[in-house]
Amino acid sequence: MADETTRLDELLAAARYSRQDIPDDLVGRILTDADRIQTDRYTGQRAVAKRREPGLWRHLLINLGGWPGLGGMAAACATGVWIGMFPPDILPDPSDLVYQTQGDGEFLGYYGLVDVLGEEG
Amino acid sequence: MASKGSIDRGGASAAEPVAEETLLRLYANGDAEAARELVGLLGPRAYSVALRVLGNRAEAEDVTQEAMLRLWRIAPEWQSGRAKVSTWLYRVVMNLCLDLRRRTQTLDLDGIPEPEDGSPAAMEQLLHVARVDALQDALMRLPVRQRQAVVLRHIEELSNPEIAGIMEIGVEAVESLTARGKRTLAAVLADRKDELGYQDGG
Repeated sequence: MADETTRLDELLAAARYSRQDIPDDLVGRILTDADRIQTDRYTGQRAVAKRREPGLWRHLLINLGGWPGLGGMAAACATGVWIGMFPPDILPDPSDLVYQTQGDGEFLGYYGLVDVLGEEG
Repeated sequence: MASKGSIDRGGASAAEPVAEETLLRLYANGDAEAARELVGLLGPRAYSVALRVLGNRAEAEDVTQEAMLRLWRIAPEWQSGRAKVSTWLYRVVMNLCLDLRRRTQTLDLDGIPEPEDGSPAAMEQLLHVARVDALQDALMRLPVRQRQAVVLRHIEELSNPEIAGIMEIGVEAVESLTARGKRTLAAVLADRKDELGYQDGG
C-alpha cells in the first residue's frame, strides 16, 4: 500500500506541474463578458441619472439661485418685516403713507384734479 | 493568451487577496485593464480546477466563463474582507460543477492536458501522459465531493480550512473526504500499475 500511496503522490505532483493553460478563446469570451457588464452598468447609471429630472420645487430652488439665493431672500424678508415693525427715525411713519391726513390732500393748492387734467389737453 | 497582468501570480499568497480585491474594486469603478489582470490571476485556477473535476474541456470552459461572469456581476457589491476573491471563485466553480454533474452524469475523459514540448524522451513523455490520463480516469471514479476535495487539496494545494470554506463543510469533513478519495485513487491505480510502467517495489 505504501508503494501505491507513493505512486499516487507522484502522479498528483505530476498533475500539479502539467496544468493546462486557459484557452485563448475562453479568455476572450471572459473579457467580452467583463466589458459588456461594465458597459451595461455605466449605461444604466447614465439612464437612471437622466430619468431623475428635477421637480417643481427643485426648479424653483434652482431659479432662485439655489440654497444661497433662498437664504438671501429669507434674510431680506426678515429685514423688511423688522423695518416695518420698528422703522428708524429717518424714515417716515409708514402708517402716514397709507392713511393720508386732510392737509396732505391739498398739495395741489386750490387746483382740483379736474383742472389739472383739463390743462393737459 | 491574455495578458497575465502585472500582479505576480506566483508571489506570496499573503499579497494576493489584497491584489484580487483591489483589482475587483478597480474593475467595478470602470477600469477595463483590471478585468484583464483578474482574468490572468484567477482564470487559469478556475479553469484548471473545473477541468480536473469535470474531466471535459468544453464543460470546464463553460463553468469558468459562468463563474467569471458572476464575479463581474458581484464586483460593485463586493464587501472588503468578507472572503478572498479566489476562495469565492473556487466555491462558485465547485457549485457549478456540482450542478452540471447533477444534470449530466456522463463521463468524458478528454480533458487531460498534453505535456508541453521539451520532455526528455518520447517514450517517457508517452508514459507521463498515460499516467496523468490514469490519474484523471481514477479521479472521475470518485464521488464528486471526494474528487473536489482531492483536487483542491492535492492539485491546487489549498489548505484544509480554505477548502472547508469553499465546500461549506467542516475541516474534519474535508480531511475525511480527501483521505477516502486518496485511498480509492490508490486502489484504482494499483490495478493499472503494469500498464502505467510501475513495478513492485518502485
